[in-house]
Amino acid sequence: MTDPILPAPFVDLAPLAAHWARPSENERSEIRWSASAADFRALYEAMMPRLDAILRLLSEHPASGMPEDVHNLFLLACAFAEASPHHELYGGSSAVPFSFDARRFVRMDGDAAL
Amino acid sequence: MTTTCTAEDLRHINRSVDDIREELGVDPVSVRAISDPAIYELEREKIFSKTWLKVATIWELPHAGDYKVKELPVADASVLIVRGKDGRIRAFHNVCTHRGNKVVPSSGFETFGRSRANVVTCRFHGWVFSTDGPLRSVPMKEKFGKLDTACLGLREIHCDSWEGFVFIHFDPEPAQTLTDYLGDFGRLFGGYPYAESTTAFRYSTVLNCNWKVAHYAFSEGYHVPTIHAGSLPGFKGVEHGDFKLMGPHASSTIYGAGMDTAPSTLAFASMLSTTERHRPRPDQLPPAINPERRADFQFELPNLFPNFIIHLASGCGYPGMSFFTHQFWPLDHGRTLWEGINYFRPAQNAAEQVAQQHVNALHRNAWLEDTATMEDTFAGIMSGSIDAMQLMDQEFLIRHAARTLDTYLAA
Ligand code: FES
Ligand SMILES: [Fe+2]
Repeated sequence: MTDPILPAPFVDLAPLAAHWARPSENERSEIRWSASAADFRALYEAMMPRLDAILRLLSEHPASGMPEDVHNLFLLACAFAEASPHHELYGGSSAVPFSFDARRFVRMDGDAAL
Repeated sequence: MTTTCTAEDLRHINRSVDDIREELGVDPVSVRAISDPAIYELEREKIFSKTWLKVATIWELPHAGDYKVKELPVADASVLIVRGKDGRIRAFHNVCTHRGNKVVPSSGFETFGRSRANVVTCRFHGWVFSTDGPLRSVPMKEKFGKLDTACLGLREIHCDSWEGFVFIHFDPEPAQTLTDYLGDFGRLFGGYPYAESTTAFRYSTVLNCNWKVAHYAFSEGYHVPTIHAGSLPGFKGVEHGDFKLMGPHASSTIYGAGMDTAPSTLAFASMLSTTERHRPRPDQLPPAINPERRADFQFELPNLFPNFIIHLASGCGYPGMSFFTHQFWPLDHGRTLWEGINYFRPAQNAAEQVAQQHVNALHRNAWLEDTATMEDTFAGIMSGSIDAMQLMDQEFLIRHAARTLDTYLAA
């Protein structure tokens, strides 16, 4: 699989996008549930210093109908939005500590692709 | 219909801790209503058939022909909630008057759809009904020796809405209108622009516990510093106050001085808290909620009897979150469908949308912490080793709900 295209300032994030960026919450959750503490750390260290710049770029685009490269960055940012607590709060654990089995939570709206 | 009340108009619902102790008592509360399967049968008859139940929001069904099917095993019912050509939302039994087939096929507990032609057709023999109820056409109609089509419309269920929340009542002749049933609750919570928050993140799960175990776990703030130590670290001083009693309903307020916000959360939150539409809006709260407009207001935590909770935050708690709801549908005595929904105003751009995903994920994770206790709690109660729950002041919503339940069961 070729790496997804990204806006020029963020092309170096393409391998991370290939791994993490998916259009539906269920797909992103599957990836997150199989991630290790090292995976979360690598994503965090690459994304956190750039987060403000990424959000600034995304804020110039409507919530739907983005060009393909921006959309790929958006999906990577969505994956990071859901993954960052695992690094910041859960000690790198892919499950929320002392929690219910996340696989039993169902997205009621059919988990439409973003 | 909106009826807003000043804080003064609703002064009579306010209670101090002493009032609560005096009115509701301080004794342990029996767990029998949770453990006894016979009580569940009574609840079906005396509560779920005799109260108004929230089943939809009007903004889920924006156009004529939009419908939702809700499976409600507690009432042995499949319910079709549909917006007719005249713009009105009605509820019907999703049952064909020919021989009883389901008119709109459904999967799971909830199914959405849209009928552009404003009719629904039973797939068994092709009977066609208008979305406002009447039977429109019957294949080979002349082959029926007798058929009173005028009386064979879909069987209607009482349906009304308050502030955009759609409620049904299974009793053919409800003892109270929805407005009267909601009473002071409707006045306390009325006036907030709920319908602006059309972006919803909706989760459900089936829990192996009695519905009240799930309901009670979401009815108090006592558990926040312990159960949520992971997702709400360093939560500073939860103050659970402003107790209010309103007939079968009750409410209270969660104030809190915030928590240790993680760096990514700070960055995402700034996308929302700096905009007019997502920023904290204590000014939009109904006047009797957080009447002093305290800056540390987190959300209002009510119990709308029997099974619905609207946490009204107005952006003051979780960043950008307008409100969130919980509902607890019994499937049988020891199984419950829980539905949790986070509501935001629509994102104006892609960055706001990502920020909402983050806030939603944090909150969903907190719900994973809440739901983790429920099956164990039920198993513990079913073991027979405890007879009662010990309830502190901040657990008064449980005490009140248990008492209301007893009152309905005794009626
Ligand atoms: S049961 Fe519906 S058309 Fe026969
Ligand atoms: Fe909780």
